[in-house]
Amino acid sequence: MTTLLNASNVRKTYRLGRVDVPVLRDASISIEEGEWVAILGSSGSGKSTLLHLLGGLDRGDSNSGPIQFGDEDLRKFSPRRENHYRNRDVGFVFQFYHLLPELNVLENAMLPALVGLSRLRWHREKSALRARTTELLTTCGLAHRLTHRPSELSGGERQRVAIARALINHPRILLADEPTGNLDAETGRGILDLLAERHAAGLTLVMVTHDATIAARAQRQVRIVDGRVV
Amino acid sequence: MYAPLLANRYLTSRIIPMIAATAVALCVALVIIVVSVMTGFLDMVRTSGKTLIGDVVATHDVTGISYYQEFIRAIEALPEAVAASPIIETFGLLQMPYGPGAGARQLETVQVWGIEPESLDRVANYRDKLYWRAPDAALAATLLPTDPRLDPAFDRLAQGMSLTNLSGEAGVVLGIEISAFNERQPDGSYQLETPVNDILPVFMPDTSGVTLTLVPVSDRGSLGGEKKRRFAVVNEFQSGVYQIDAQRVLAPLNIVQEMLRLDPAPIVSTTEFEANGRPKVIGESPARATTIVIRAAEGVTPQALAKAVREAYATLVDRLRNDPATATVAFTMPNQLSVMTWEERLADLIGPVEKERELMRTLFSIVYIVSAALVLAIFWAIVQEKTRDIGILRAVGASRAGILWIFLRYGLLIGLVGSIAGVALAWIIVARLNEIHGALGSPAPLWLRIIVCVAVAASVFMLVRGAMRASALRVVLWTFATLALSVIAIALVLHQGFMVWDPSVYYFSRIPSQLDWVTASTTMVGGILFSVVGAAIPAAYAADTDPVQSLRFE
Ligand SMILES: Nc1ncnc2c1ncn2[C@@H]1O[C@H](COP(=O)(O)OP(=O)(O)O)[C@@H](O)[C@H]1O
Ligand SMILES: [Mg+2]
Repeated sequence: MTTLLNASNVRKTYRLGRVDVPVLRDASISIEEGEWVAILGSSGSGKSTLLHLLGGLDRGDSNSGPIQFGDEDLRKFSPRRENHYRNRDVGFVFQFYHLLPELNVLENAMLPALVGLSRLRWHREKSALRARTTELLTTCGLAHRLTHRPSELSGGERQRVAIARALINHPRILLADEPTGNLDAETGRGILDLLAERHAAGLTLVMVTHDATIAARAQRQVRIVDGRVV
Repeated sequence: MYAPLLANRYLTSRIIPMIAATAVALCVALVIIVVSVMTGFLDMVRTSGKTLIGDVVATHDVTGISYYQEFIRAIEALPEAVAASPIIETFGLLQMPYGPGAGARQLETVQVWGIEPESLDRVANYRDKLYWRAPDAALAATLLPTDPRLDPAFDRLAQGMSLTNLSGEAGVVLGIEISAFNERQPDGSYQLETPVNDILPVFMPDTSGVTLTLVPVSDRGSLGGEKKRRFAVVNEFQSGVYQIDAQRVLAPLNIVQEMLRLDPAPIVSTTEFEANGRPKVIGESPARATTIVIRAAEGVTPQALAKAVREAYATLVDRLRNDPATATVAFTMPNQLSVMTWEERLADLIGPVEKERELMRTLFSIVYIVSAALVLAIFWAIVQEKTRDIGILRAVGASRAGILWIFLRYGLLIGLVGSIAGVALAWIIVARLNEIHGALGSPAPLWLRIIVCVAVAASVFMLVRGAMRASALRVVLWTFATLALSVIAIALVLHQGFMVWDPSVYYFSRIPSQLDWVTASTTMVGGILFSVVGAAIPAAYAADTDPVQSLRFE
């Protein structure tokens, strides 16, 4: 098996006023290709912080260790490469969905595909992209919601749109931050089933949760304690 | 490709871009209207005083300039000048053909100008200032149907030009504001007062005329006996400057010369006598004028003309002194005249205007800054509200430049639409300014009052309906609408017309209503610029922030 992501001795400290609050202290984690890892930890332990660092959405401290994606170091990314990494290499699912309220379901789901698409290519690939997004949304159970705005959807439906958005560019790895954290058990199970399907189809998955029963669906569980992964 | 999509969605899916565009439009219109009217006003004050004085004025004191005809010939030979006209300036008393009681005659103190109509017309378009003349097509279009000038019987242009009345008697032209019977209307026209107790309105050229009293002054400064003379009123003039229109009387130059003893006279010796004991005539003192008004040639500055006129005078005096026939008088002539440009001559009028202009510039800058800050603040608030969206876009890989582009488009479009609407609004208001002012000056028409009262009733009805449906928003909105409409209705009913632009306070009969296109275009560019900058700064800030940070923004 090949290692897809490898974080070693990652440090992250937040400054609150004049006090330094270390959240991650030499946290290390390695994700193998095709794996489903659950990161467990109590609320405020730094799970989201770690996931953001893995997704290239935030930076560690200046004395932090490297996060390797293949043989590249995320810390050394140029702005261009960083955008590309967020856009193509990883898909990110937030606990609070974070959809754009002015766009409908279809447009929200294809947003990452639109990024970096020139006007010319957009005109040429418009219909193909629409078809692909519609198909993806259909497998996520949203075929009847394509033209709705996020405000017209339930929490579970919104999270499905967010998952579709994360998958539209066929990322190497999907990072999900408490994807069921805001949903009732029944709806949450539906989301986990969707993720399980994707994993079965070969997707590498990292999922953050504070709930051991949800974590149980993953192949491997790690835990964050005192800013370290154990 | 997401940038146009999002910019369009942001523009069309909310009401806030409409509000922003309206705010930009109002700011732009405000600046343009204020600047246009004020610069128009100041320019008008500056140039209106120029009425009847040409570009350069050469004067000597009350004793006048001898050989002024030679001087005028010399001036008209200059390449810098196209025409010159002699004037005698003095003060006098004017007895009007009416008074406070039966048989009483009202006396006015006036400024008297002896003029030569033909040459004055060449220098200062005298003809255009005459009030009682058949209006040309352009003027006729602006007149009310009741304006007496539309009746050919009131055309006295020829009389104004010849300074004689219909029966050939010599006459004067009065400033339009001198006669108490010329009643200025809110629209700026003069209507003859409506007949009261069967007494017909007084049209000055049809009256028995006026009596003018002048006092000659000798070159030693002593007063001669006063001279009284009856004049017909041949026409009236309107310069547009209230102070001039209310004080100045134009009379034939040769008659004023006679009355002031500035006409040709023999010079007699004090030592030599004729055989019959009379003093011996040793020469002739020529006619004199106190002032020469001069028009500059196309493209010649008043300063250059003034210099040429000074030199021409020096040359003339030199020549006259070397000629035995004129030497006697020439040696009594001043070595130089006071030659002033129209701006120097009107310094007392223009000085305060220049000061006001400085003050206005300061005020304009404040209006500009306030408007710019308003536009900036609006866009700042709108984009700040989109910080979370920007975080999402950055999280899915959108570049900083792409995000900036969304909001540049957004600001540009709103700025463009708002600025164009603002210029259009300003143009409509400025072009209709005198009509708006005229409407303010008269009681509101009945139909308008009825419409507003109906609107108040409708608004109250909607308020009650909103209350019955328990809608807080409707109640609030219709309460405000009812209050605003009621205030308007009360104001309209109480309003009996008032004159903001009182011509006895301001100099002009019309508010300058010229849109200043330079200001309009710079303000438009400013409106767009501040919209774009206001949108771009917070967008750039948000684009620079790590997405996680932006997503935490509430
Ligand atoms: N931007 C921030 N500024 C300051 N403190 C932060 C910030 N983000 C997270 N934290 C703090 O870091 C700790 C870990 O946060 P997080 O990673 O979100 O925890 P978890 O996802 O495990 O609940 C918390 O105490 C949180 O308050
Ligand atoms: Mg969290």
